[in-house]
Amino acid sequence: MKELSELNFREGLRYTDDHEWVSESGATLKIGVSDYAQDQMGDIVYVELPEVGATFEKGEEFGTLESVKAVSELYMPIGGEIVAVNEDLADAPELINEDSYTHWIIEIKPADMDELEDLHSVASYRDLLKG
Amino acid sequence: MATSKETVLHSWHVANGANMALFGNYDMPLWYKTGAKAEHLAVIQGAGIFDTSHMAAVSVQGKGARTLLQRCLSKNIDCCLGQGKSPLVDGRCVYGVYLKTDGTVIDDAIVYQLQAESFMVVVNAGMGGEIAGHLVENGGERTVTVVDLTDRVGKMDIQGPDSARILGKILKNPAAVFERLVYFSCKGGFADLQTSASVELVDGTPLLLSRTGYTGEFGFELFVPIDRLVSVWTMVLEAGREKGVLACGLAARDSLRAGAVLPLSHQDIGPWPFLNNPWPFALPFNDGHSGFSKDFIGAQALLQSNWDKYTLPFAGFDPRKIGAGSDSFVTSETGERLGSILTCTTDMAIGRVDGEIVSVAGNKQFQAKGLCCGFVLLDKQCVPGETVILSDGKRKIKVEIRADVRPDRTARKAMSLMLG
Repeated sequence: MKELSELNFREGLRYTDDHEWVSESGATLKIGVSDYAQDQMGDIVYVELPEVGATFEKGEEFGTLESVKAVSELYMPIGGEIVAVNEDLADAPELINEDSYTHWIIEIKPADMDELEDLHSVASYRDLLKG
Repeated sequence: MATSKETVLHSWHVANGANMALFGNYDMPLWYKTGAKAEHLAVIQGAGIFDTSHMAAVSVQGKGARTLLQRCLSKNIDCCLGQGKSPLVDGRCVYGVYLKTDGTVIDDAIVYQLQAESFMVVVNAGMGGEIAGHLVENGGERTVTVVDLTDRVGKMDIQGPDSARILGKILKNPAAVFERLVYFSCKGGFADLQTSASVELVDGTPLLLSRTGYTGEFGFELFVPIDRLVSVWTMVLEAGREKGVLACGLAARDSLRAGAVLPLSHQDIGPWPFLNNPWPFALPFNDGHSGFSKDFIGAQALLQSNWDKYTLPFAGFDPRKIGAGSDSFVTSETGERLGSILTCTTDMAIGRVDGEIVSVAGNKQFQAKGLCCGFVLLDKQCVPGETVILSDGKRKIKVEIRADVRPDRTARKAMSLMLG
């Protein structure tokens, strides 16, 4: 298991209590999981992705990551419509273990972009992991 | 609450980046930095090593040792070896279970006959005291000494097709050691756990070498003096470096054993009758399967049991799994409740080609994505090929009831094929 000092964080991203990250690119947001999350889960063997066009409320489950250890639900950090899913993960779920920040999971059009402000900065996410 | 325990390799695990978790009250590695998938595949294609010193050894010695074990163990040790069912002899071991008088399982075990009046019983983590107590309680008038060796015996496993080639580099006289070391046999020993032969590593460490394991693959379990375990572990790693040997955690151990249709005690077998499961070979059925060839604790309960549930292996169609928690259940394809999930994990070395399960062991080019597999406990008998649904209330996964799961396993391969 990685020590806090070994974990990767990416500046400019927002983080959730559920160890997901959100990046802003114009009118849409990309969502993935943090390095801490992939390290805790271990090898990811399957990614269950939502349909493009589906809409979810904030906090609603949109998919699952299956690791050798368990099935982990993925929750919407902000409500919105799925505009794209990372198809590469269907054939190579291990990409998330390799680099969980480059390999995003879904892209959404948020219902309310202002909700982004409610999420953690790198500093406050790091504090959350310190416990 | 009891505080958790550590094996002597604990600091090695932590220093090597293991993701640790409690198992049987021991803080054990789930996987190391390479990840559970690489560890699982190493055991199929090369070799992996496991810290198994959380398991417990019990020595049973004296004139009455054999008859006491015969009374307590489900296996008939006077009628167990080979096609001809000859008696257990020095240097051989058998798998069986210890039952309560009601036919439910206390624990499973491998029983080693070291010498005529000296046996070693290897049981699961934390069970040494209970099994030793059970043996003492049933000792009666017999002349027998039972000693719980929990935390006093160092144990590690090396599993995978390269195991003998790696061990051969650090054994004194490897050719002599490996000669006639058939599946479920052992040689060597130390202290009170001594067979008639001796086996030593090149540095003089004495060990009891057993051709057994818990992965379904070719390999060995090494029992060594507890104060030698760390050095033996690092010697084996060093000897296996060029073969790419990996230290493996409990996650790979679990997925390997599930694919090999081996039960986890207290999960796949436990406080229910030891019947209608994939392990009837642990019971002393007579030739006609009409009864048992000996009496033992729990036998009468099993013979009179009206137990009508079935423990069945399954495999899925992709790596998805459903956790075996209290919220999960099994249904028919039409939604009828059938039972519960005992084990559900992903064997990462297998996949399906035109519906058939293929392993990377049998096809080096095969890119396995993994299949979920494990055991279900159902209210009705299902035959291999039937499909059922695993569910956690939200997600549903179709799986196939199987007679076997991972093909091309190597555990029983002839030693000569594994040394070349």
